[in-house]
Amino acid sequence: MFHWLEKHPFFFAVAVFVMIAFAGLVEILPNFAQASRPLIGTAPYSTLELAGRHVYIKNSCNACHSQLIRPFKSETDRYGHYSRSGEYAYDRPFLWGSKRTGPDLMRVGNYRTTDWHENHMKAPSKIVLDSIMPAFTWMFTNLADINTAYAEQLTVAQFFTVPYNQPVPMKDGSTKVVKMGATLADANALALAEAKVVAADMKDQNVKDAIARGEIPEIVALIAYLNSLK
Amino acid sequence: MNKLYLWGIIMGAVMLVATYFTLVISAGNSGKSISEILSGDIVNALAITGAVALILITIFVVIKYVRQMQTDTANGQLAHENWDGIGEYLNELPMGWSIIFLLTMVWGMWYFIIGYPVNAFSNIGEYNEDVVVHNAKFNEEYKSITGSRLVDMGESVFLAECKVCHGLKADGIDGKAANLNARIEARSVKYVVENGSNNHLLGFESPMPDRNGLFNNNTEALITDAEIDAVSAYVANGMTGAGSDVFAGACAVCHAEDGKGMESVAPNIAAFTPTLVTNVLNHGKKGAIGTMPKFKRLNDKQKEAVGAYITSLSK
Amino acid sequence: MENRPLEYDYTVTKMFMFTTIVLGIVGMLIGVILAFELAFPEVNTILGSGVAEYTNFSRLRPLHTDAVIFGFTLSGIFATWYYVGQRVLKVSMAESGFLMFIGKLHFWLYLVGVAAVVVSLFMGITTSKEYAEFEWPIDIAIVVVWVLFGISIFGLIGIRREKSLYISVWYYIATFLGIAMLYVFNNMEIPTILGTNGIGEAGFGNWWHSVSMYAGTNDALVQWWYGHNAVAFGFTVPIVAMIYYFLPKESGQAIYSYKLSLLSFWGLMFVYLWAGGHHLLYSTVPDWVQTMGSIFSIVLILPSWGSAINMLLTMKGEWQQVASSPLIKFMILASTFYMFSTLEGPIQAIKSVNAIAHFTDWIVGHVHDGTLGWVGFMIMGALFHMAPRVFKREIYSKSLMATQFWIQTLGVVFYFTSMWIAGITQGMMWRAHDEFGNLAYSFIDTVTVLHPYYTLRAIGGTLYLVGFFIFAYNIYRTMSARPVEESELQSASPMGA
Ligand code: HEC
Ligand code: HEC
Ligand code: HEC
Ligand code: HEM
Ligand code: HEM
Ligand SMILES: [Ca+2]
Ligand SMILES: [Ca+2]
Ligand SMILES: [Cu+2]
Repeated sequence: MFHWLEKHPFFFAVAVFVMIAFAGLVEILPNFAQASRPLIGTAPYSTLELAGRHVYIKNSCNACHSQLIRPFKSETDRYGHYSRSGEYAYDRPFLWGSKRTGPDLMRVGNYRTTDWHENHMKAPSKIVLDSIMPAFTWMFTNLADINTAYAEQLTVAQFFTVPYNQPVPMKDGSTKVVKMGATLADANALALAEAKVVAADMKDQNVKDAIARGEIPEIVALIAYLNSLK
Repeated sequence: MNKLYLWGIIMGAVMLVATYFTLVISAGNSGKSISEILSGDIVNALAITGAVALILITIFVVIKYVRQMQTDTANGQLAHENWDGIGEYLNELPMGWSIIFLLTMVWGMWYFIIGYPVNAFSNIGEYNEDVVVHNAKFNEEYKSITGSRLVDMGESVFLAECKVCHGLKADGIDGKAANLNARIEARSVKYVVENGSNNHLLGFESPMPDRNGLFNNNTEALITDAEIDAVSAYVANGMTGAGSDVFAGACAVCHAEDGKGMESVAPNIAAFTPTLVTNVLNHGKKGAIGTMPKFKRLNDKQKEAVGAYITSLSK
Repeated sequence: MENRPLEYDYTVTKMFMFTTIVLGIVGMLIGVILAFELAFPEVNTILGSGVAEYTNFSRLRPLHTDAVIFGFTLSGIFATWYYVGQRVLKVSMAESGFLMFIGKLHFWLYLVGVAAVVVSLFMGITTSKEYAEFEWPIDIAIVVVWVLFGISIFGLIGIRREKSLYISVWYYIATFLGIAMLYVFNNMEIPTILGTNGIGEAGFGNWWHSVSMYAGTNDALVQWWYGHNAVAFGFTVPIVAMIYYFLPKESGQAIYSYKLSLLSFWGLMFVYLWAGGHHLLYSTVPDWVQTMGSIFSIVLILPSWGSAINMLLTMKGEWQQVASSPLIKFMILASTFYMFSTLEGPIQAIKSVNAIAHFTDWIVGHVHDGTLGWVGFMIMGALFHMAPRVFKREIYSKSLMATQFWIQTLGVVFYFTSMWIAGITQGMMWRAHDEFGNLAYSFIDTVTVLHPYYTLRAIGGTLYLVGFFIFAYNIYRTMSARPVEESELQSASPMGA
């Protein structure tokens, strides 16, 4: 049979394809629907947080940082509760990473704060002695891209029914509504309001000035995102 | 000796030394010996075994085949086809390879169909068991430690969890976080007196009023800017120097004459206490310097221990 | 007709040989920079803090991986296909104007794609998925390039004179099909510009930005089904295609066993795809998928080793060739590293071992055992074999070749021993609890301890890069040295002193 296949390239290719396509179907499909259900307490990202997530991706923070806490005592001691599938229901793309040059950030919002991030992103090795993380100084001047974040919100709301402007259940039985602007201007205003809260805890004068002008530096969006990781 | 074996031995030795090195380094200052590291954590033992097996098997197999290059000769029946001058022998499969392939296939099927379901292995299940064991051991060995052992334990928590903000020496890294070698600095006191404080320092919500609620009994008026500066310096200096009269007049009602606070009324601002630190860890704190996060994932004993450590720093 | 040797046309081969070398230099140079950045963080701002946005580790890392995978390796695959394909199918590109055109179009569009990738990654335009960072416009370009590659493969097969397909061709076909399937499914994404018309203010936000079709755990599952098999169909299958041609051809030996080739090929095809779960051990994907990943990784040793053993046995009794030819040394060491990394991988895929190895430099070590020792050596070996034939000139210098071989071997040894120590050490330190039951180390303790090993790795990487420059120089001088006889070269490549 194999000899025959080797003389009939078309059937050879079909045989190879069947052989390799098979495993994917078996491994990926069965759990697909179940794995995309959000865990109670998991809410979609706000516009500013999403813009911060884009900053995170743009700078490939995932090259050094994971967002996946494995169920080992040593990891839950260090980072908090192990990860559960439903917590990632709104993560497009997922950001688990595959290398921990720096620590896991899945729940960094629980144990680091705005002012610390501000200092740290500016000069990591000044805060954490001998840190090898690069300084991300340009984030203090580059502006966050709120428009693209809003476009993404609209897209996921439309195509994947991500529940913006709808109550999502929280752990304590209450509900939470993550607002999404009705217009572009609206979305920008919402993001700015959120940015003001973050910037209030920051010290950098340029950042404060920018916010006062109605501009949102990347660092503010990034910190909003980091703080949302819980 | 054949050069080949020599290279094999050198490579093997290099990798074994490297592996030994990893054990020495990771033992580092954890206070454990290499054998404790291996026997205390099955995962460590398996990883090292895997690493060693990897080197030895590769070296062994490669030498086996290279020996064949050196001593054997190519033979067998050639297939009648050839491609761009490349021929193919119709040799049989190497026996060892075929047997192991077959065995792994059978093992794979067995494991998947029987071994795995019957074992009912689950990541989370394993984790839960681990935690139970760890906690039982913790309770048994550390629940009752006190005194300098408690301070040592606290230092270990501090170095793992707190030094990224407060610095190795707990000096607050140039004002980026609180300097824990002294109870409190003047700018923090000033900030609190001007703005009040609502950080659950007593373990429950019990705000301190801002300057509009701070009445100086000596002057029978609200506290003034000059008085705030004076009292801030007084508190930051460890309750000495000028400003004691302001303190007595405006603060002592709640914080007591000596600043050591009163149960359920106001916290100790003259010295750290384990309770105060525990409250900070439970509720976090927002102040003049910045924001201190909550530390929910530490257990009570660890909080008490780090409290004892911090208390010991400023003595 | 039958007896007159065909005039093979190597135009497209030459073009891709050129990009193999140039992109190899680019990719590995960036790799060396990355290595130095981890050892000495000041290197992040080496061109001044003003441009640090473009020179820091995180912006450069995807450029390294994509330059070496989609630049160096892929070019090598294309170059060898356009060489090997003609020869084992006994048909010349010159015979078909259409295929010639497709081949050249393939190359030029590929170059456009490369340029787009470089620019976009420098700008930070990425979807974050490892080895699939590109946004949708580039995805489309890649698919077009890939289809052209497919047309070339099947076009050449369509007009072949050699009826039955040589082993290498099996592997090239699998490469084409595998990557096609994986790439398409992993890059299912919706351009976010599409969402904006919902509110009647269409067209804001970056037009190239997209959002993944899959979320969270599903996204991870699809990504590593891709990521693992991108290794399979990018770093394994096509490289095996190369060694099955170049080793027997250069040495003049017949393949040891057809049966072993056959079983290894179909075994590899069947087993590889199941093993992707080993990138997701202890994650939130279902336990059974993880278990499948582990089991099949172990099974995978055999079909992988099958090919390697077949190659080593092909050289049975030919030690004098190994000893005297640096070109054959490259290929023998490549199979050895192939064996090493395909045993290392499965060992790292055992759950308890992965508990230590995952997220650490031990994985990076494993990656580079495979890529430097196997992929890099084999591609350079292939280029060395092709150069005298496509340029009709003997290789400029054999002694340079030998020098390069030893420098690079030393480089690889430095790389993997240092990452071995770094990785296992870090993995164990993360897990360590001290005498009080607390975590023994804060994270930064587990970083600073790695400094010496990061330095050693940077030195190893530099050695490898230096070797690559020697390689480039040698090939460059080959192009301009004295021509050899016009007749077709059989087996061993001629080399100057
Ligand atoms: C070269 C690798 C590298 C890159 C790239 C990198 N980091 Fe880090 N990161 C580290 C290391 C190492 C540490 C641990 C030492 C420290 O805290 O500085 C760290 C620590 C952190 C921490 C503190 C977490 C904790 O638990 O203490 C945060 C938050 C963080 N990084 C965020 C980021 C963000 C956001 C980016 C991208 C914009 C980024 N990092 C890019 C290496 C990196
Ligand atoms: C009405 C009672 C009251 C008076 C009067 C009062 N305090 Fe307080 N003080 C508190 C309480 C309650 C807290 C704890 C608040 C909290 O939980 O954040 C506190 C907290 C503080 C803290 C914060 C300690 C820390 O670790 O951050 C400082 C400093 C302080 N007081 C100083 C003063 C000084 C100086 C005065 C006089 C000028 C004063 N207090 C007067 C009740 C009082
Ligand atoms: C993310 C940074 C961060 C981490 C981690 C952190 N701290 Fe703090 N901590 C701060 C900051 C900032 C302050 C100062 C708050 C203020 O008063 O403005 C502070 C203040 C404190 C205070 C003083 C509170 C007072 O009443 O004056 C104590 C005690 C303290 N931290 C203990 C700890 C301990 C113990 C740990 C580790 C288990 C820890 N901290 C970890 C940032 C941090
Ligand atoms: C039998 C064959 C192999 C198996 C079973 C295997 C297994 C593995 C495992 C378990 C990991 C680590 C996953 C993690 O914990 O993060 C890994 C990573 C990797 N391997 Fe292999 N490996 C094999 C062969 C190879 C070869 C030959 C190469 C390349 C030439 C290679 C390249 C890689 C790469 C690039 C990664 C990193 C993926 C990432 O970015 O995380 N592997 N492999
Ligand atoms: C001069 C030689 C090279 C050096 C110094 C080098 C260095 C590096 C460094 C420093 C990293 C980042 C590791 C980390 O994040 O900790 C890396 C990653 C990587 N390199 Fe290289 N590299 C070299 C050559 C190559 C080649 C030739 C290839 C492929 C053909 C390659 C493929 C990769 C891959 C796939 C990764 C990602 C690994 C992962 O995510 O686990 N490298 N390299
Ligand atoms: Ca990776
Ligand atoms: Ca894409
Ligand atoms: Cu893999």
